[in-house]
Amino acid sequence: MSMTAQRPEARSKADGIDYEELIQKDRISGSLYTSEAVYRDELEKIFYGGWVYIGHESEVAKPGQYVRRTIGEVPVLLVRTREGKITVLKNRCTHRGNMLCVQQKGSLKNFTCAYHGWVFGLDGKLLDVPYPGGFRHDPAEYGLKVLPLIDSYRGFVFASFSPDAGSLDDHLGNGKLLIDRALQMSPTQEIKLTAGWVRHKIRGNWKMLPENDTDGYHVNFVHSSFGRVIRSQYDEAALAPEESLKSLTIDWGNGHTELDFSPSYVGEMAWLGLSDSSRYPEYVRAMEEAYGHEKAHEILAKGPPHAVIFPNLFLGEMNIVMFEPLGVNECVQWHTPLLLGGVPDEVNIRILRQSEGALGPSAFLLADDGVISERQQIALRSGDAWLDLSRGEEREEVRADGVRLGHVTDETTNRGFWHQYRKVMTRNAAATR
Amino acid sequence: MQLVTVEEQRRIEAFLYKEARFADQSRYEDWENLVDEDMYYWIPTDDPEADPERTVSITADNRKRLATRIAQLKTGKRHAQLPVSPMRRLVSNIEIEKMAAPKQQGTEEYLVHANFVVYELQVQSTRMLDVWPGGVEYRLRQYPDGEIKMYYKKIMLVEAGEPILTAAFIL
Ligand code: FES
Ligand SMILES: [Fe+2]
Repeated sequence: MSMTAQRPEARSKADGIDYEELIQKDRISGSLYTSEAVYRDELEKIFYGGWVYIGHESEVAKPGQYVRRTIGEVPVLLVRTREGKITVLKNRCTHRGNMLCVQQKGSLKNFTCAYHGWVFGLDGKLLDVPYPGGFRHDPAEYGLKVLPLIDSYRGFVFASFSPDAGSLDDHLGNGKLLIDRALQMSPTQEIKLTAGWVRHKIRGNWKMLPENDTDGYHVNFVHSSFGRVIRSQYDEAALAPEESLKSLTIDWGNGHTELDFSPSYVGEMAWLGLSDSSRYPEYVRAMEEAYGHEKAHEILAKGPPHAVIFPNLFLGEMNIVMFEPLGVNECVQWHTPLLLGGVPDEVNIRILRQSEGALGPSAFLLADDGVISERQQIALRSGDAWLDLSRGEEREEVRADGVRLGHVTDETTNRGFWHQYRKVMTRNAAATR
Repeated sequence: MQLVTVEEQRRIEAFLYKEARFADQSRYEDWENLVDEDMYYWIPTDDPEADPERTVSITADNRKRLATRIAQLKTGKRHAQLPVSPMRRLVSNIEIEKMAAPKQQGTEEYLVHANFVVYELQVQSTRMLDVWPGGVEYRLRQYPDGEIKMYYKKIMLVEAGEPILTAAFIL
């Protein structure tokens, strides 16, 4: 028998990388996390060729406000124009390519390039070129690049560099229900992403973030130190014997995946780390007024989603989280607390403190996840590993609409992610940037 | 605010160096013994003046949460510090003032500003040497029996507004 191991490394064929071979039904090649060629291809097909989450309208509430974001490796700006419209522009001057906005966020009347003074409107139009005598072009053709597709769903702004990415509606699919569930935590259906961001750098491939964030199997192991020192909603939801775990992994389709802890919640506001809702009567009253008694208490019991919207948004319960790749071996997980409109301040303060407890470099949870991802990146470095994703395939329930429900410890969510990944990566459409 | 005597300065500096040493050595119990009951352990993001009731911080621990943080480190299952990071920190540029009106009656309280650099070896995963520079504001309390406790530590990382690496150790 030959001892030569078959190396499943991503390799360039005439037509590109063979994703059908690298992503099989119940296992994937480790090279997908470590290959530079795969990473470059992901930038083109996922980050430039498809829809990505950019930001929330509440981050740029007033005309002139902007925030910096990065799509793949391209710096962009989410901007509220003078007319109050939302736009997404490349943060790059059309003259000789300098970066326009240096601050992470700000408020401006227009964008002036520091290099040679070209001035652009908030909508990207070129307004002024100093010493115009030497300027030989039509200014209309030298505006900032506006992304060809920009759309939003209930304040969540998405965009694509590719005009062929289809509709946001099609991309989101069941993801819209997840966003609806996040919004309904507010009696006024308003969220405010105004508390700023913490950015956690992890020396691991970006895909470990969406995969880990809806992985229910690791909770009992990676987070056992958390379970020992804090009484939390995760005790019943993920830190119990296999038979008694009622939480679910859900593949909603299109790569959108959820860890649904709600079937194990015992009382209302378990998602706020409480055993009932007596702490915040004013919030409960506002919810009852907004939704009626029954629905209000249903929402307060079920809580917010814990779900990834492919490829770069995580509705992390009372947090909004974004994934940013930084080359093949590094990534950044951004998070901000999901502050609610129409609730007493103390509810939002609790959400803030809960956010710091769960997410970020020093958090009770994510610090451990981060280190686990870094170890995985090192172990996968040689590119010759196969990762098993078969867990629970035979016991998952497939609904008539194609939605798959699995046991909380099963890899239903991972398979959902990779299924979509393969679909996107085997597409030929090239983005026009 | 008043200047302090040479004697007071020595005592406070000795306290700060001890606090730094316990943190470097991950001596959690010894470090926690330096902390008072009204402790606030705070690592803001890039705006150190931001209101933590409206702005997310990297860490914003009251005494209870700090106790939980230390208990978690002591479980032996805190992967992010398994094994603990070898660390060395330098504390410098120490400026001490005495508070005119102490928060706690009958004690002397001091406001201290300093700079620090922590060199940390990330032995849990990448085995890379990470450098954590910053400024720090301490508020210290000396009881009539001479014991000093820390009741406030605000760590202002130079990189607080940037993507930062996992930091599960005591900063
Ligand atoms: S690069 Fe912007 S004006 Fe020249
Ligand atoms: Fe986790």
